[in-house]
Amino acid sequence: MIGALAAALFVFAPVPLARAGQTAGQAARIQTVVIDPGHGGMEVGAKGKFGNLEKDITLAISLKLKALIERNLGLSVVLTRDRDVDVTNENRAAIANNHKAGLFISIHANGAVQRKAGGSETFFLSLNATDEETRRLAYLENNSTELQTRIDPSTDDDLMMILWDMAQTVYIKQSSRLAELVQEELDAMLGTRNRGIKQAPFKVLTGVACPAILVEAAFISNPDEEQKLASAAFQARVAEAIYRGLVRYIRAVE
Amino acid sequence: MEGKKKIALSRHALILGGLAVVLLVLIIVFFTGGTGEKVKRFIDANVPNPPESGGAEPASKTVTLFFLADDDDLLHKETRVITAGPTVADEAERALAELIRGSEKGFVSPLPPPTKVRQIFVANNGLATVDFSREIAEGFAYGSTSELAAVYAVVDTLVFNFPAVKRVVILVEGVEKETLGGHVDLTRAFLPDYSLVAK
Repeated sequence: MIGALAAALFVFAPVPLARAGQTAGQAARIQTVVIDPGHGGMEVGAKGKFGNLEKDITLAISLKLKALIERNLGLSVVLTRDRDVDVTNENRAAIANNHKAGLFISIHANGAVQRKAGGSETFFLSLNATDEETRRLAYLENNSTELQTRIDPSTDDDLMMILWDMAQTVYIKQSSRLAELVQEELDAMLGTRNRGIKQAPFKVLTGVACPAILVEAAFISNPDEEQKLASAAFQARVAEAIYRGLVRYIRAVE
Repeated sequence: MEGKKKIALSRHALILGGLAVVLLVLIIVFFTGGTGEKVKRFIDANVPNPPESGGAEPASKTVTLFFLADDDDLLHKETRVITAGPTVADEAERALAELIRGSEKGFVSPLPPPTKVRQIFVANNGLATVDFSREIAEGFAYGSTSELAAVYAVVDTLVFNFPAVKRVVILVEGVEKETLGGHVDLTRAFLPDYSLVAK
């Protein structure tokens, strides 16, 4: 427990100081997009019948999306991993926060127990809010604007860690809008079943201090969709769909 | 004199005897006349449940389990009869064992079959802590959908069936694990999510 606290402090502590100057109420211009290829290394994610691994497909799609954004939008793009390595969920969030990400896109391929399950969906964070957390969130929401400006550097370490652990809670509305736009494009471009936008308590999203979504492009556990996911053409369509959704979001907020 | 004393004594005995009978009746009425419910309410979640039926045959209890269907992504209810008591934790352990054992109606279990429940503790504040064997994390290569189904089948089964359980924490081999397969945050207690349950 003490180790986890120390690790979380290490991960989250540098950010609030760096962003303390951001003005309240007004959306900062998005300069950096962080793309998170799901899983990696020993942690392979879901597996397909033909041997394809989620971690390889997520990396392939992420690299294509990075190229699209850099080429067309001129934004800086940071990947949480650019090769087959293990990265903890906390570090993925920390990479986003330390690079002052304006958007965070986690890319996954889905897996179900049932072979028939198929389709694409986009998630944003849901809170497993207990009463105590709900009160704390209500306090945050009622006490001004951006999380960064709220966390006074003199705040004691434990409280600061707790606040950063819930960084995403402040961005739920923006994340929901981003999820909606990306999901519309996935539905238009992929020809997979539209599973809509959903909320789930995904670990990788909890600590991210900017609008953040997790895209589940098709099911690797479904043999037909696995074969699509393994093809470069389909991967490019997934990247293009996410890119289009992202462009619509940026236009809407800036 | 002697005779008078004897009469006085037997009168005393009669009065005392009468009082004793009245007292006995009052005591019987006090202990059988509807105070049982009040006593039960103070029973701690880990202390024996009130038995539902007496006699030599062990009491049973019907629980609702949550399984996956082949053609949708929802959790489907299936009832099962388990042995009742003595504690909520014992019953919860039996309900989860049935969930892992699988459906009798052709539904699919959302948990890897070799998974075992190592221990369950139900605290008075409604927090149930369930410790699973390592197979719950290693038995499946989880995607988001299967990981959400596994977690919420457990959480919904416990909260739905046992009023003493309000929130659930999942441990693996006795320790806190970040996720089962890289997706769902296990470091916070779960509230049930019945939005995944078929209507």
